[in-house]
Amino acid sequence: MNLERIRKDFPLLQEQSHRKPIVYFDNACQTLRPTSVIQAIDEYYLKYSACGGRSMHHLGEEVTNRCDNSRAAVAKFLNASRKEEIIFTRNTTEGINLVSNSLDFQNGDVVLISDKEHNSNLIPWQMLSKKKNIKICRVEYLPDGMFDLNGFKTALNERVKLVSLGFTSNLDGVKIPAEEIIKLAHRNGALVLLDAAQTAPRQKIDVHNLDVDFLAFSGHKILGPSGTGVLYGKYALLEKLEPFMVGGDTVAFSTYDSCQFLPPPAKFEAGLQDYAGIFGLAEAVNYLMRIGFDDIQKQETNLNEFITNGINDIPHLKIIGPADPKLRGGIITFYLDGVDSHQVALMLDQMANIQIRSGQHCVHSWFNAHQIAGSARASSYFYNTVEEAEFFTQNLKKVLKVL
Amino acid sequence: MFCIVALIVLSILGIFSATNRALAREALDCVLRRVTFRPCTTGFDQKMKAKILGKVLGRSEKAAIFISKNFELLAWIFFILSVASLFFTLRGIFFFYQYGSCNGLNQTGVCVFDPKGENSKVSNVANSCNINSGGNNDLTLNSVDLSLFPVKNADAKDKLIFIGCYECEYTRKAYPLIQQLIKDFSVSYTFAHYPTKSDTNYLGELGMCIYQQDQDKYWKFNDAIFASDLNKLGDQNYINQVLTDLDVDNSKIQLCMFGPQIKELITSQVQELEKTHLYGTPTIFINGEALVGPKPYRVYAIQLKGLLYWLR
Repeated sequence: MNLERIRKDFPLLQEQSHRKPIVYFDNACQTLRPTSVIQAIDEYYLKYSACGGRSMHHLGEEVTNRCDNSRAAVAKFLNASRKEEIIFTRNTTEGINLVSNSLDFQNGDVVLISDKEHNSNLIPWQMLSKKKNIKICRVEYLPDGMFDLNGFKTALNERVKLVSLGFTSNLDGVKIPAEEIIKLAHRNGALVLLDAAQTAPRQKIDVHNLDVDFLAFSGHKILGPSGTGVLYGKYALLEKLEPFMVGGDTVAFSTYDSCQFLPPPAKFEAGLQDYAGIFGLAEAVNYLMRIGFDDIQKQETNLNEFITNGINDIPHLKIIGPADPKLRGGIITFYLDGVDSHQVALMLDQMANIQIRSGQHCVHSWFNAHQIAGSARASSYFYNTVEEAEFFTQNLKKVLKVL
Repeated sequence: MFCIVALIVLSILGIFSATNRALAREALDCVLRRVTFRPCTTGFDQKMKAKILGKVLGRSEKAAIFISKNFELLAWIFFILSVASLFFTLRGIFFFYQYGSCNGLNQTGVCVFDPKGENSKVSNVANSCNINSGGNNDLTLNSVDLSLFPVKNADAKDKLIFIGCYECEYTRKAYPLIQQLIKDFSVSYTFAHYPTKSDTNYLGELGMCIYQQDQDKYWKFNDAIFASDLNKLGDQNYINQVLTDLDVDNSKIQLCMFGPQIKELITSQVQELEKTHLYGTPTIFINGEALVGPKPYRVYAIQLKGLLYWLR
């Protein structure tokens, strides 16, 4: 991987703010975009900004064709059986909400989640439990930060309709043993939905081999445009799902009293789509596949090891998740008792133009349960360098000396 | 405490910048919470502290540590300085409105509203006449015999005594404003010529001779002299033309000018004026309050009719 050449693809990495280069370590929130993605978005507005799937003219046809190609690119990215298994959404949250609102839940059904879920994989189930009286069960992570497979086995029972888990935690970067979980769930008659928002950027996902039923991820975490996302679903399951958001371009025809829905994915994509975003997303997955996940993971692990070793000697600093950086992907989340994480993030930004995330990272439930006020999270990606990692650790030490 | 300081500073900066206006609103919310004994949940103070420390840390680690450790104390110091600064700013604005100087009556310090100090400039009496002035506090009309000087509308309640000299730049600047003032309000107006420039001493004598001959023509003479080009005041032909225009009896004037009485009168006038301890012209007493230097019109009007003179 030619890092120097790759970095040139990202306009923001060439920018300077207050005469300092940007050192972007907030990739778990969203990644930067390469020029090719930005160009793909621009191209739509500049060359063929028309309606897809409806208009017969040549611009409309161009959009329809490109939309199909984009869907095929994402299907290839996930190794889906067919491109119709790909539903374009606004983000992971919308994908999960689509499943929670469309799957045929019955009174007393159980949804099994973990105790470290992002709000997007917690709140939809809380809402559903109020509406349909479903039950939410939690599998707690082990004290060492790893997924408790035995606990999961224990929690599985015949009432579990859906296992909905974060594939990779946005809090500490820990991955779940998805293949095993899916096998166990299926053996138990449960469906599996994976929140792959943090997995899609850094690992080849093969939905066919995984045999996962539903999988959602966001465009903005994989170099794509914000406001784009994907829900993968097995075609047979998608056919059975009732759409929860309906309207334009979801039906074959309608009368004053009824309608006939189009087959998936159209019936789930109500209204005019974000075509520019979809084309940007397709370019993003193509870009990622060109880079290759082996190199991405290698670089992330390297950087995480460097940062972990660099800050391990800071007194009283606590790292959330496993001690071994190899198990945390590109994420390192840390806190010090009595030190406001927001202040840490703001100071790094002000003094050194380093961007990290602070707070509870949309996992409030876990922080509240563990009585931790908040944490700072540095998340690297393949375009970050060791020099940047060193710069970060040096400046973090300075900040913590002051606070 | 930091929220209050930030509110004051950001409110002022907010006049010029939308970003600061948004921060000022945050600060206000924080202050309102604090004064109602609720915790500041916005995190505004912590956010601003981090931003400040971040900027400082980029330059000096020691300074950042010092600020971090003493943040509350520094906030208190800035609070006191802000309140004091606000007080003095408002006081300065008020003084400028009332006296034409941010620093108070007849004070000559720096004033942003009058950067060149035009409202306080005087033709210095001490330099030309060797008068040792005791300064502004000594200016008084006590024991000054004003009956020696020309007066108009003597019975009016409000008294204005204008001490100036014909050739003095700042007296000439104030003169039209005073004329406007006595037109706008009913005022007993006394003009006392104090000759700070020896070249035109004779104009004082000439004026008093005209006054003795015809009071109305004296006031017209003053108007004509103050309206004249300063360079022409030494030109005898020009002065003669002024007298001709006023239609005064030149022979009587000549007799008066070379008589001993007028010299004695002028000497007496100067002696009386020195009792006021004046140190520069123009010095204008309005109802006993001395205003030194050419003030804006409103300052004279305020002395006459109060701060809200324009409502009357």
